[in-house]
Amino acid sequence: MAKEIRQIAIYGKGGIGKSTTTQNLTAGLVERGSKVMVVGCDPKADSTRLLLGGLAQKTVLDTLRDAGEDIELEDILKEGFKGTRCVESGGPEPGVGCAGRGIITSIGLLERLGAYTDDLDYVFYDVLGDVVCGGFAMPIREGKAKEIYIVASGEMMALYAANNISKGIARYAKQGGVRLGGIICNSRKVDREYELVEAFAKELGTQLIHFVPRDNEVQRAEIRKKTVIEHNPEAPQADEYRELARKIEENTSFVIPKPLATERLEEILLEFGLLDI
Amino acid sequence: MEKKKHTTITHPHYACSIGAAYTVSAIPGAVPVINCGPGCVDQQYFTMSFCNGFQGSIGAGGGDIPGTNSGENEIVFGGAKKLDGVIRSALKIMKGDLFVVLSGCSPQLVGDDVDSVVKKYREQGYPIVHAEVPGFKGNNLWGHEEVVISIIDQFVGEQKGRRRKKLVNLWMGAPYFNTFWRGDYIEMKRILEGAGFEVNVFFGSESAGVSEWKNIPKAAFNLVVSPWLNLRVAEHLERKYGQPYLHIPILPVGEEATTAFLRQVVEFAGIDNAKAERFIEKEAARYYYFFDHFADFFAEYWFGFPSQFAIVGDAAYNIALSKFLADQIGLIPVGQIISDNTPVKHRDAVAALYAELSEGVSGNMEFIEDGYLIEKKLSEYDFGSGTPLILGSSWEQDVADEIGALLVEVGTIATEEVVLNRTYVGYTGALQFLEKIYSAAVSG
Repeated sequence: MAKEIRQIAIYGKGGIGKSTTTQNLTAGLVERGSKVMVVGCDPKADSTRLLLGGLAQKTVLDTLRDAGEDIELEDILKEGFKGTRCVESGGPEPGVGCAGRGIITSIGLLERLGAYTDDLDYVFYDVLGDVVCGGFAMPIREGKAKEIYIVASGEMMALYAANNISKGIARYAKQGGVRLGGIICNSRKVDREYELVEAFAKELGTQLIHFVPRDNEVQRAEIRKKTVIEHNPEAPQADEYRELARKIEENTSFVIPKPLATERLEEILLEFGLLDI
Repeated sequence: MEKKKHTTITHPHYACSIGAAYTVSAIPGAVPVINCGPGCVDQQYFTMSFCNGFQGSIGAGGGDIPGTNSGENEIVFGGAKKLDGVIRSALKIMKGDLFVVLSGCSPQLVGDDVDSVVKKYREQGYPIVHAEVPGFKGNNLWGHEEVVISIIDQFVGEQKGRRRKKLVNLWMGAPYFNTFWRGDYIEMKRILEGAGFEVNVFFGSESAGVSEWKNIPKAAFNLVVSPWLNLRVAEHLERKYGQPYLHIPILPVGEEATTAFLRQVVEFAGIDNAKAERFIEKEAARYYYFFDHFADFFAEYWFGFPSQFAIVGDAAYNIALSKFLADQIGLIPVGQIISDNTPVKHRDAVAALYAELSEGVSGNMEFIEDGYLIEKKLSEYDFGSGTPLILGSSWEQDVADEIGALLVEVGTIATEEVVLNRTYVGYTGALQFLEKIYSAAVSG
């Protein structure tokens, strides 16, 4: 029997570092010998820049618009860092059309073209920050991603967003197999951030799977259009992403989250002093 | 577990709101331009025109409506560009005095800015308007009102000049949806002109086309002859032009109702009634000439005539025909089912119309949209020992066969009738209606 591809969706507040984390994590997994495909599900199409060494890729929807249905897989799938497969769903121009439907269309097309080959170990869906409509929940529908990680930080709005996303996951989890694998803290160096995010994760019924410290090495690598592991394999931050990759590979904790009532969320924030600022 | 109220219906007796494309088709010289997915309007064409008396069309309206056939590209990337091309082509190759773009579900869900596309052409001097009629907002009757109001706001324009005391805007049934609309408009215009009015009818063979629409503000008042449809139009015109309206909820059928109707309109208008009375006298004489012949036959023929009837139909025909049969022919109303999804805010007023169909005779009216529940209800009515008479649509054919009833089709859908110039209203229509029912009765 062919092994099952681990399909993973990454959600989180806009600007929290989902794309950066996903790509650095991917580099860590690839180093460990895994075969990974990253599907960018954001109309901005910047989910694979670090793996490809730039925004060289034509998106699925742009290709569809120009070439119609007559598309080959190689038109939309490019190989990046150590054979990572990269796809950008893309979207309409801001303010017109329906980006949500665009994601449904492009994932459907990827399936039809046979992008999900058996040699893959992981598929990551990097989804835009706000799950505003059904289209943005496409990656966690039945038969797609079964694991979700939420990228958050100790900032209040990031936790609000994470809690809100958990509501969506809980709804989908009831009707399908999708589960929350944990919270990835992308540190903003907020006071008592580790404790806060850990407490929040616990309250949700999940885990803080890894605390990624803030390090300018990430920015330096980004400017060079690279992941930290590619840009500076010796940097301590590279080890952080390797550690995240290991934890995700070994993760066995998959839960249906228990979203917090707003009052409870604010209590936790108070408890850790955030609201005193 | 408590049984949930069902959320789907079968055998609807109406069409989707984009069926309002046929409101446009019914205006001489007007061209609908449809902005929706492929098949959307085709289905409405079959419900409202083809399988509804095989009405046919002239100009743009049957299978020749220009449209966007919006597909996945228009959903994902927006459909404004494609619509722009369709409008440009339509203006080039279709002859029209008025173009009405109707946006259905897909552009409305995606949020296409259709107004700005249409406005560009309007500013270049083209007579073009946009109506938002997505199916999730209402049925074809709601769509009909939306289209009429859009034309008023984007094409008719502001009031210029004085009102004409004898000019009336007539608002009644929705074209095509009302199987007999063409005949009805002819008869209503005929009787109102006979009573001394000039009439803007807006739709059908008797309409002068878009010039009538331009003349809307010149009318002394708006005459709404329907239980609820077009009230929204009249209220809009009252706000827009300060134009009063007279609402007569029941379409007149037969001499008594039609004569009373004309007198009410004449009195409201405050015009001299001499012409109207001369007309009424002449019409009544002719009506009773035939009615007396009918009475002779009616009294003599005793082989299983129906004495009790049920009706399924839109609110307008339902009350009009029920009242005529109960009050003038003496048939017993067993049940009246209104199937047009009458808006909730009008339901009490519509129900009140059934309190006294004739002296001492009240109705048994219910609002039911679901064809399945309608059939069930019809099979449960007690029609007594005579032949049951059902006035309804083709959807009621099965249950009519089951209970051995005569079925006379009086509304959407009607697949056993070819309808051209026929009416069941006014002086003329009442006699045609009797012919229809009793031809069915004698032929069994």
